[in-house]
Amino acid sequence: MKILLTGLNHKTAPIELRERLAIAPEELANETRALISHPGVLEGLILSTCNRVELLVCYEGGEPELADYLNNRFAVDTQSLQPHLYLHRETEAVRHLFRVAASLDSMVVGEPQILGQVKESYNAARSVGAVGGALERLLQGAFAAAKKVRTETQIGSSSVSIASVAVDLARKIFGSLEGKRVLLVGAGKMSELAARHLMKQGAGSLLISNRTQERAVSLAQKFNAHVVRFDDLHARADEADILITSTGSPEFIFRTPHAQQFLHRRRNRPMFIIDIAVPRDVDPEINRLDGIFLYDIDDLQSVAASNLSDRAREAQRAEEILEQELTRYQRRLDTLDVVPVLVDMQAAAEEIRQAELSRAHSRLQSLTPAQHAAVEAITRGLMNKFLRQPLRALKNAARDGDLTAVEAIRSAFSQNGTAQAAGAQDQREPGRTSDEPALTVKERND
Amino acid sequence: MFLLWLRIAAILYGVASLSAFGAVLGQRTFWRRTCFPIALSAWLVHLVSAVEMLVLAHRWMPVGMHEVQSILALLIATVFLVIALRYRTLSFGIFALPLAFLLVVVPALGPDQHTFSSPVIRSGWLLVHITALLAAYAALIFSLLASSFYLMQERRLKNKRSPGFLNWLPPLDTMDQIAQKTLILGFHCMTVGLFAGSIIAQESVGPAYFADPKIWLSFVMWGLYVVMLFVRRSTGLRGRRAAFLSSLVFVVMLCVWAANLFSSVHRFSAP
Repeated sequence: MKILLTGLNHKTAPIELRERLAIAPEELANETRALISHPGVLEGLILSTCNRVELLVCYEGGEPELADYLNNRFAVDTQSLQPHLYLHRETEAVRHLFRVAASLDSMVVGEPQILGQVKESYNAARSVGAVGGALERLLQGAFAAAKKVRTETQIGSSSVSIASVAVDLARKIFGSLEGKRVLLVGAGKMSELAARHLMKQGAGSLLISNRTQERAVSLAQKFNAHVVRFDDLHARADEADILITSTGSPEFIFRTPHAQQFLHRRRNRPMFIIDIAVPRDVDPEINRLDGIFLYDIDDLQSVAASNLSDRAREAQRAEEILEQELTRYQRRLDTLDVVPVLVDMQAAAEEIRQAELSRAHSRLQSLTPAQHAAVEAITRGLMNKFLRQPLRALKNAARDGDLTAVEAIRSAFSQNGTAQAAGAQDQREPGRTSDEPALTVKERND
Repeated sequence: MFLLWLRIAAILYGVASLSAFGAVLGQRTFWRRTCFPIALSAWLVHLVSAVEMLVLAHRWMPVGMHEVQSILALLIATVFLVIALRYRTLSFGIFALPLAFLLVVVPALGPDQHTFSSPVIRSGWLLVHITALLAAYAALIFSLLASSFYLMQERRLKNKRSPGFLNWLPPLDTMDQIAQKTLILGFHCMTVGLFAGSIIAQESVGPAYFADPKIWLSFVMWGLYVVMLFVRRSTGLRGRRAAFLSSLVFVVMLCVWAANLFSSVHRFSAP
């Protein structure tokens, strides 16, 4: 069975093209069904996310025309599609899938969603019977590799967006965000995003304050929050554990004396202040106070940038792990290839043993049941001992990719070959009994 | 047999210490998974050893430095396991487990030659006295550790561009809770321990006992402890100042321990 992977992603195709090929999750099963009914395709899977659309197929014989499939299904002409498509075969296809599942090919390297999306595609494909032995092994290999990368590297452990850095910092201060109160001062897009992220991560309640009261009220309705009048801001800001400010004020809104009051009223419970405004709303001197943790937009960006460089470093390690996993996967496949040969060898040997026993049947009739059992055990033991070395050699040859050796052993021990050899030997020496070996090793060497 | 158990416990504490370093500083998943089970096994074996040792001696209290050390290590491991379970953090393991290991190593080498031979040690009150004070020491060690972690984490968050190798530090709030709770636990244990000690002293020595430097230093420590708890509670003291106060109590506690050298009455060896 051969493997082929084709598709486009954020690096090769513009969003206009990607969105034309995008498949909704509920349509994934139907599309996969259509894919496996495409000529030449035996097993198949479609991965469709906002950053990529990829088709992974297993086939035998001629290579299926997957560009045609895309053309037919999505009415995108092949000419405009072709420059954006990449095509990977065999090992390269496996490597690509492993990298995708481990989030090394993602726009934000290390983001955790992609593995879930690959699993969704796998489930959709399984539900329509598009996953056979080859694809099953490949995907299980990809999942195992992705898991190993997650557990053995820190690739996904640090946040790389401003909002998630803010959440991480809040967690470092408060532990859990549950029950924590967030105060949003001013209404900027980024502060809204940070507040939304904090609420999503479990923050208890949201207060909103804005110079324009109407804007505060409309925002509060959107977030199901409470409004704090802007004039009451300094009197009530201490109610918040996390304060996000992004007003257009040309001067500082919060200065050291304000923060001292907050701390006094909060009985020194810590307070996390995120100042996203430019010019800044909070006097940086505040950060000197025990219990106040002030981060402005530059601070957040520098933490995000440093986390991103950490991820890049971890990605190097992840690539090494993927290569090891790829080698392990290939070895497993090679070993699987020789399993029928192993079975053939054992069957052929057993056939010879049975034939020899039945030939000697008349002379063994006088034996007691215990003696019969002993003969049975001795012959079986001999057979197993004789086979042990060639079986091990075959497995090693498969593991080391030594196809010549595998072929040599396969032809020497294939069931037909062995049976024929045994038959020919019987014809050559009709008078020989099973007690008299045809040729000893020494005689053969001579 | 208890010595064999103790030796196994010492080895397990050693392995648990290494796994704590791997889990906390190396952030390795394998060690994160194995650290707690190894520490728990060490604790169980240690508990078996301690119980067997005390049962064999037909008494329920440690006599001699080796036994005291072993029981202190057991209490430290207990607090570590409780914190790891309650707060889901192994960070304390990088200090607590090596400390337990070091405390157990000497007793595990062989039986103690020098035991307290005074008949006073047969008193039941002494069991309460020794156990409660050892528990107070263990709790104070954790309070000091939590306060130190708090300071490190606070500095890290204030500096903003902090080194990545301190990523393992637990959240500030967790540190504050642990420091506060262990401090209160330590206070209760110390109060019970001193109360039991006072009863023994009253019965065996009389008022002269209270003129001993070891004894009045103990009461000074208790007084300092009360003041610190009061200040912490009433002002919501946290962070640097709270950590300094905890450290002060800890230093006085070490002085009280060391004051045994100057004490004429707090001695239980045969003359």
